[in-house]
This record gives sequence, structure tokens and C-alpha cells, in this order.
Amino acid sequence: MKDSLTLLSRIPAHPDSRCWFLAWNPTGTLLASCGGDRSIRIWGKEGDAWVCKSVLGEGHQRTIRKVAWSPCGNYLASASFDATTCIWKKNQEDFECVATLEGHENEVKSVAWAPSGNLLATCSRDKSVWVWEVDEEDEYECMSVLNSHTQDVKHVVWHPNQELLASASYDDTVKLYREEEDDWVCFTTLEGHESTVWSLTFDQSGERLASCSDDKTVRIWHQYQPGNEQGIVCSGTDPTWKCVCTLSGFHTRTIYDVAWCHLTGALATACGDDAVRVFEEQPLSDPQQPTFTLTAHMARAHTQDVNCVAWNPKEPGLLASCSDDGEMAFWKYQRPEAY
Amino acid sequence: MAAARETDAFDAIVMAEARFHGEGYQEGYVEGTHAGVIEGRQYGIQQGAKIGLEIGSYLGFSMTWLRLLQKHSDDKHSKKIKVLESLIETIQRFPHQDPTYDSLQEDLERMRGKFKQVCSLLHVPSDFRLSREGSALSF
Repeated sequence: MKDSLTLLSRIPAHPDSRCWFLAWNPTGTLLASCGGDRSIRIWGKEGDAWVCKSVLGEGHQRTIRKVAWSPCGNYLASASFDATTCIWKKNQEDFECVATLEGHENEVKSVAWAPSGNLLATCSRDKSVWVWEVDEEDEYECMSVLNSHTQDVKHVVWHPNQELLASASYDDTVKLYREEEDDWVCFTTLEGHESTVWSLTFDQSGERLASCSDDKTVRIWHQYQPGNEQGIVCSGTDPTWKCVCTLSGFHTRTIYDVAWCHLTGALATACGDDAVRVFEEQPLSDPQQPTFTLTAHMARAHTQDVNCVAWNPKEPGLLASCSDDGEMAFWKYQRPEAY
Repeated sequence: MAAARETDAFDAIVMAEARFHGEGYQEGYVEGTHAGVIEGRQYGIQQGAKIGLEIGSYLGFSMTWLRLLQKHSDDKHSKKIKVLESLIETIQRFPHQDPTYDSLQEDLERMRGKFKQVCSLLHVPSDFRLSREGSALSF
């Protein structure tokens, strides 16, 4: 099992600082990293080595917590503790800050583009989730301010093919939103985690959502449409999301991030115990009660908390991780033969 | 007769503690209820005034901006106008006479969200100051 995850390279991405988050561009050729040093670095592959292509340094006053590429790959959004979100436009090799989104009262924790590229979501310690609309002239207009959470909102993520938004919070819940008559509404709350929910990831189909938490578990939620065969009750036309699997007993500390590979279906986690783990659904397991097996466990993947794991969207098994130690690492994941 | 009176007299003495205790309790209860009502009323007025001030500020703000924007009837402001109208409608529909209204908190949160959205669309900081004395519009 130990050989299923092999280290390809390790890079001091944000030396003397924390490396908070990584994001692959849609074609998988570039990786953006951000950190406590208030900079964003863009990494590209030259030969076998990952090299820093550009540094985006002048956008933010404080820590940059998360970055997200637009679906077209020409824009990068960055969420910062300085309460703003910057939009960077890619011109050949360089990036230019074309918009700064203000409105949150304090630290912006996460940012995400909708699959259409026309909508952007941000969330903050001010407990709110904002949905922004993008027009042709790179103008961003606030479409909605959602005050559904009762605590710090840690993460936002869009459904891979529907205009459906999910958010995770310090209030231990996950909330799902959809558009309703020019406004956005929270239509369901996923309860079950016993502590802060740190991150979320949809699988490739969007039928499933995985959430990871300070309670040391990962929960897998399954979407049931109204009139489903299993007889799960739905209210009106909204689907119901039900927890079908809880991965507990694998992690010894807070799980900070979870990532579902859309190519292989493997699920990776980033944990406060410095380890990176990969899980896979057991073949032939009941889709309504799936069983996930730990297929890779890299203890001491980093020397400190692992903050993020990110699967390359084009190259199956290429995983990037980053840590409080300021480093990022590239891994090759190989599914064990028994699978 | 005499025996009965004697029993009464003893009764009065023996039961005195219980009786005074009971009376004291009643008096205290009445007084406490009264004090509680006054305190509750004070608190209610305070909270109600706070919410009233907040909602009133939103209403005044949005009515003013609506008028200003309606003067220039170009399409550019249509979205702002729509959101302003929606905020105004939410405020006007809000049952401000009913403190036990079920979705009071939810509606309040919706108004706060709408207000922030409007501020963002108008490029007005949502914590701007109403007067020079510095009463900020942050509730």
C-alpha cells in the first residue's frame, strides 16, 4: 500500500510562510499556489521540473487564503484576509489585476467560479456567502448576499454541471443554494458533522458531495431527486442530500481538505496530522451504502499540517499537496493492484 | 367550644411560620412578576427600537436611492432599481407590529443581505456614517 503514493518532487513554494492552497488550471498545465506571504505563484512544468512562471505579489495586504481559476483558464480569483477578492487576467505569461471585489466585512476565506464562468462565489468570516455576476466587460456585480450560516464560512464550491452552490462553515453544517427569481436561496442544510466543516468536493457526476471536518471524519452525501426509487423524501422539486458514508477512524487530526479526482474517482484528504491519504470506493459496493477503502497513506507527507490536496484535471493520478511548512509536493498515485 | 378555640390558638402559632412563608412568597411573587414585566418591557422596547432603527434606515436609504436613480431612466440602473424595489418590498411586508413573528430573524437576515448587495451595487460602503457624530450604519 505504501508504494501507491510516490513523491515526484518537493518545492519550497512559499518559503518562511504557510502555503495555503493550490489550484490547477482547467488544462492542467499550470498550478497556482497562494500563501501567508501575500503572494500567488504560478507553476509550470519544464522538462521534469516544476518551475515558477510568475509571481503575483501586489494584489493583497494580508494572507491569501485561496485561489480559483475560471473555467476558461484566463482568469484567476484570489481570496484574501484583507477582506477583498482580486480577479487576475492572464496575458500570455503575465497576470494583471483587473478587478477587486469589496463588500465582505472581514477575512475572505474562499472563492469559486461556477462552471459557466458567469458567476463567482465568495465566503467570509463575516458569516456570509456572496454570489457575483460577471459581465462581458469584466465587471462584477453582487447578485446576492446569503446570511444562512451562523458562523465563519470556510469554503464554497460549485456543482460541476448545475448552478448549485455549496458552502461549509464553522457552524458544523454544509448549506446548498440555488437561484430563485433573480435571487439565491439556501434550500437545504446538511447536518451531521460534529465540528467545523473545512472543505467540500463534488465527484465528477455531481451526484455526490464529500465534506471533511475538524471532527476527523469525511462524509459522503448522495443526491436523491424527487421521486427517487429509494423512497427518500424530498420537499417540493428540491433534491435531498443524504449522508451515505462516513469515513472515520482513519485521521488523527482535523481534515483540512478533501479532493475528488474527476478522472479516477479517487478521494484524497489533507490532514492536520501531516499526512496525505487516498480512498477509493470498493468495486461492487452498494451505491446507496458505499464502502470506501484507504488505498494510500503517506504519513509525514509534510513536516506540518497539510492544507490542501489537488488532483490534476488532465493527468490521472497526479496529485499536488501543500502545507504550513511552506512547501508543496507532487505525488504520483497508483491504484493498488487488488482494485 | 373552649377546646376548639384552644386548638385554633395553637394552630395559629404552630402554623405561623408556614402562613407567613406563604404570604411572603405570594407578595414576592407579585412584586417579582411586576418587576419582570417592567424589565421585559424595557428590554423589548430597546430591542424593538434597535430593529426599528435598522429597518427604518434601510427603508430611508433605499427610498432615497430609488428616487435618485429613477430620475435618470436609462437601462444601466435597472438592476440596482430592481434590487432596491425588492428590499423596499421586503421591508414593507415585514410585520413590524408583531414581535412573535415566526421568521423575524430570517427576514431580518434577508434584509441585511439585500442591503449589503445594494451597497455593493451602488459602490457605497455598507458601514458608511449617517452623521458627523459618527453613528455608523452597522447594527
